[in-house]
Amino acid sequence: MKRKIALAAALATTLLAAACGSDSGSSGTPNANASVDGKGKTLKVWLMVDAQSGWKNVVDQANQRFTQATGAQVQVDYQQWGDHLAKVDATLAGSDVPDVMELGNTEMPKYVFNGAFHELDKSQYDNSANWLTGLSAPCELEGKTYCVPYYAGARVLIYNTDLFSKAGLKPPTTYDEVVAAAKTLKEKNTGSKFSAFYAPGKYVYAGLAWVKGSGGEIAKKDGDKWVGQLNQQASQDGLTKWADLVKNYSVGDKTKDEQDQDPIFAQGQTGMMYGSSWELGAVQEQPKDPNNPESPKVKTKVNGKVAATAMPGIPSFLGGSNLGVTAKAANPELAAQWIKIFTDTQSQEALIAKGALPNATNLLDKAAAVEGNKASAEAAKNSWFVPMAPKWAEVESANVIQEMLTSIATGKATVADATKKADDQINTILNS
Amino acid sequence: MSAVDSRSAPARPTPPGPPAPPAHKRRKRRSSTSGGGTPYWLAVPALVMLIGLLGYPMIRMVVLSFQNMRLRELFQGLTPPWVGLDNYTKVLTDDVFWSVVLRTVVFTAVSVVLTVVLGLAVALLMRRVAPGVRIAMIIAMMFVWAMPQLVAAQIFRWLVDANFGVINYMLTQLGFDFENHSWFADPKQGWVVITALVVWAGIPFIAITLNAGLTQVPKELIEAATVDGASPWQALRNITLPILKQLIVIVTTLSVIWNFGLFTQPWVIRDGKPEAEYQTLATYAYSVAFKNNNYSLGSAISVITVLLLLFVMVFYIRQMFKIGDVD
Repeated sequence: MKRKIALAAALATTLLAAACGSDSGSSGTPNANASVDGKGKTLKVWLMVDAQSGWKNVVDQANQRFTQATGAQVQVDYQQWGDHLAKVDATLAGSDVPDVMELGNTEMPKYVFNGAFHELDKSQYDNSANWLTGLSAPCELEGKTYCVPYYAGARVLIYNTDLFSKAGLKPPTTYDEVVAAAKTLKEKNTGSKFSAFYAPGKYVYAGLAWVKGSGGEIAKKDGDKWVGQLNQQASQDGLTKWADLVKNYSVGDKTKDEQDQDPIFAQGQTGMMYGSSWELGAVQEQPKDPNNPESPKVKTKVNGKVAATAMPGIPSFLGGSNLGVTAKAANPELAAQWIKIFTDTQSQEALIAKGALPNATNLLDKAAAVEGNKASAEAAKNSWFVPMAPKWAEVESANVIQEMLTSIATGKATVADATKKADDQINTILNS
Repeated sequence: MSAVDSRSAPARPTPPGPPAPPAHKRRKRRSSTSGGGTPYWLAVPALVMLIGLLGYPMIRMVVLSFQNMRLRELFQGLTPPWVGLDNYTKVLTDDVFWSVVLRTVVFTAVSVVLTVVLGLAVALLMRRVAPGVRIAMIIAMMFVWAMPQLVAAQIFRWLVDANFGVINYMLTQLGFDFENHSWFADPKQGWVVITALVVWAGIPFIAITLNAGLTQVPKELIEAATVDGASPWQALRNITLPILKQLIVIVTTLSVIWNFGLFTQPWVIRDGKPEAEYQTLATYAYSVAFKNNNYSLGSAISVITVLLLLFVMVFYIRQMFKIGDVD
């Protein structure tokens, strides 16, 4: 009897504590399940421009459901990827801070580490037990969760079916077949602008994927210190393979990155390229007015002649974004609730229909069923992520990998020298 | 002040010595403060604005350079810890910093020399052509001058684009093999492009200013020299240039100050991510401060840049005072 009373008392205390904990002020964990009256309030959300051009309907339906549930309005601001971190830093330092912010998964650790986001209760969000690690790992710090995975993207081999059938080639299933196909295409197409495999020299996630494909690593944590691994033999082998493709089969500016590889592919003078799954659509249709993403789309030269398949032998980097409730948010509970609605199964299914990958492994099979998505869903199952160091974003913004890749691609440095230099820079930045 | 007097003095055939000045002006010559406090009161609004807009950020920047401010202090509003001269030591012992300084100095020297020489050439040309052509030249240069740096840099970037650029296309048509040539793989070629852009944008100001200065060169002197058998080069060297000397010094100093702080052009031409060989002092300070979130180190670099520029400013200020002394 006494034990039962003690048990009941303990249970009651726990429930009381939980109830008090969820009655959060600005320092508690925002409760996404609380019923908040948001009438007259406007939730400020910062999403990246991919949502506007790729799946605006998903945003709209989430906003509608949110307003119905809470009565609050939503104001969504779409941000460009270029140099957006400077804007994020300045905004987060000020007082007029958005409630919800989307950041790339490689950028998240830096902000989580520096206290920019509220802690969240993982169990309140759909499919959280099955979140893709590439998306959820950046959100975790010391066992606590600070953001919610939003969507993922994987990279695939995109090829010109017309050129392949003219050369009598089948979609490659091994890496050697890729190189053989590139060789055949180069022999059969002798135009000066023809690239059998277009590989820009500054493509970070391509170069690093080749490193991983040969069993190499980018950086490892040795005790307390990070040690760059690009100079190891396996990594160098991967980069040598990549450099072969760039030097022998890619025609173009070796110092460019992948930003304009879609318009280049769309000109019909490229056999294959390595790109994100949504680029399959982007090379077949471009907006009439390049400066206006909302303008009607026109078909390109390669419309209907493009297909995607998983890149054999090269594991894909799992790109994607996460959403967080900012620490200085004016409406943290409303923000948590909006994120819950925007990332629940219903929203994820709408996202899948638009060609993006979902945030959880149990939804990946549904994604594979969508036309054109099979390749990337497969790729996502075998994906990798950058080193989980708080300062990894600084390595990205210091252009360490970019400079290493371009110096190899332009022949300015040998693979050994370029990787040694990159390793030194990585060691300095990650351990500073 | 007296700068106004000097501009009108040489051209007018006046009797020797200044014409009998009104009484108050004669007083002003002897003692510059005898005009009362009016000049100072008139300068106060401008001074207040300058101190507010430039002074406060400068002070904050200098203070920041002695602290250690990172992202955490920025987000949480904490006071950054004092580290004394650590940042300066780090900057001044960094090889990368000195290579950036060298690059900036070399670029400034080359671009200023090119701008002034070409600007002077254009100004001399303007003096020789018919008035109609001169006006057309001025209008063309006004358009160049008015074009925002950002827009001009984007256009140059597309002109030299490896896959889609017009320059590669035209050179290929002319028979040179410039198909898909990357102008930025080799930093020397990349800097040629950037320097061309900066010089092109800088010529209008120099040309129009020197053109105004050339109107003060008395035609009679040049004609007399030609009659005496001087060649055009000698006339240029011995008559025109000495008269223009002060103006050229001012214009050169201004160009040096502007080109030393070069930011927009390398930034835009390299798409916001300039490689190590394309960094100038300004882009380097920005990258360190905002990309690596090391705000204090970036401030230290900026302070050092300002000190370097102050050194050049000495010449400019001395020249301004010299003009004030000339009749």
